[in-house]
Amino acid sequence: MPRRLPDAFAELERFVDAWALPSETARSRKRLASTMDEIQAFYDAMLPKGEAILAHLAAAGDPATDADLPEETRTLFRLMLSLAEVAPAVEIFRQPGVIDGLEAARFVPDHESADWKAR
Amino acid sequence: MSTATRSARWTLDYPRLGTGPLPVEPYVSQDHFELVRDRVFRRSWLCTGKRTDEIPRPGDFLVQTVEMLGASILVVRGKDGALRAFHNVCKHRGNKLTRAAFGSCRAALVCGYHGWVYGFDGRLASVTEEDMFFDLRKDGLDLTPVALDTWAGFIFVHLDPEPKETLREHLGELPALYAGYPFDALSVSFSYTAELSCGWNVLRDSQLEGYHLKYLHKRTVPGSMVNRADPSRHTLDFKLFRRHAVGSWYGARSGDDTGPVGRLAARIGQTLGSAATALSDPNRWPVGLNPTRAADWFFDVCYVFPNFHIIFVGLHAFATHTMWPLTRNRTRWNARGYFPPVKTLPERFSREFTKCGIRDLWLEDGSMLEGTQIGLESGAIREIQIQDQEIMIRHAEAVVHEMIADGAR
Repeated sequence: MPRRLPDAFAELERFVDAWALPSETARSRKRLASTMDEIQAFYDAMLPKGEAILAHLAAAGDPATDADLPEETRTLFRLMLSLAEVAPAVEIFRQPGVIDGLEAARFVPDHESADWKAR
Repeated sequence: MSTATRSARWTLDYPRLGTGPLPVEPYVSQDHFELVRDRVFRRSWLCTGKRTDEIPRPGDFLVQTVEMLGASILVVRGKDGALRAFHNVCKHRGNKLTRAAFGSCRAALVCGYHGWVYGFDGRLASVTEEDMFFDLRKDGLDLTPVALDTWAGFIFVHLDPEPKETLREHLGELPALYAGYPFDALSVSFSYTAELSCGWNVLRDSQLEGYHLKYLHKRTVPGSMVNRADPSRHTLDFKLFRRHAVGSWYGARSGDDTGPVGRLAARIGQTLGSAATALSDPNRWPVGLNPTRAADWFFDVCYVFPNFHIIFVGLHAFATHTMWPLTRNRTRWNARGYFPPVKTLPERFSREFTKCGIRDLWLEDGSMLEGTQIGLESGAIREIQIQDQEIMIRHAEAVVHEMIADGAR
């Protein structure tokens, strides 16, 4: 199987299928559909690499669109966005979803709609 | 702050507001909802919660639906650069000109039903099969205008064909408070919309006090709103105006009390956990922002009557809440975050962390709001209790009642 992450982060390869997702909606759904064990395993693997990943991502500069990124960098970036998504689950709620929160699917991210992106 | 000041109560400075409980009736009554519709919303400038920079080029448009008043409003930028608003209604047989929330037209607005063409200035430009109509007087068939004006980049509309006051008159003291705030340097970073089973005023009230942050948001709000020097006091300042009101809230944000991912994010850009007063000198902020110049400052709320809140969390960070009443106990809620644009991937990660945290906090609000409406409608209580630091709720209700009473005359 071809590598999908930069060499330095090869050990995160096992999380790519589950967590390298292209949108907030997809990442939020994945968080809510996961067990805390799954979320914690991803978080524990990502966090120690966080600084190094950000340094690697910084080297990508200021891309006009994600399509301009090397595929490995884009995949690594998506993992990092999933770390942002699961951080509240691990650090605050200690469960996948918001405690006593509104159902996430009812809180629609306008910024991911086709109309919004057409602006 | 002197001891004498600490023992004061803001509410006592406004004797007309009283200090007693408020009735539940305005939160549950159909009759009251209809009075609010006819005498408040139909007679007020309404903030769309959307900004001029969202439709920057000639032909760019957005549509604002105001269900309560049965209106669909098309806001379009003209070839002269000016923004204009029209009813989103074709003069032929009433079709909606567009169903999109945002869009861009190249040359003209064209009705999808029978191809009537309008300029970006609303003028009827051409009619298909015009020779088959009878005595068609095209000069009377321009789009029906809706009053529009802007403040700080926010687009306001007024559904009265001849508003009794200008937007400036409506806003009163507010523009002077925030003169110099870098609204134009910030852009909408995220925007969420939900239809909630609660009255618009239940949603309104939830953003008019900081009391609940210490409890409802005890998990999601970083730092402490507990003022150790004066544990019951979490507010720094209030100013009540004719219709609007502003408040300023205490919070000792150190940035250190967020989790490890938050610390990674905070090194790159402002998060909710960052101490905003450490990022720039509050003595040089606009006079209305953190007006007491407190170092332990968390946020300000600017309530733009009747349907809009701005929550300032820094000199370069604010959120907005726009409330659109649908029925007596249904409301569309649009919550947005505004920050400096992000470019690099680390900046985008930092912003994603901030967004996810604020979104989760808003989810806490959403379920509480629906639970409150059920409680208010249960008949279990006839009054609600209002403490001193909830004075903006007392004031907002008083303004609504004054407008309803004035409208009867």
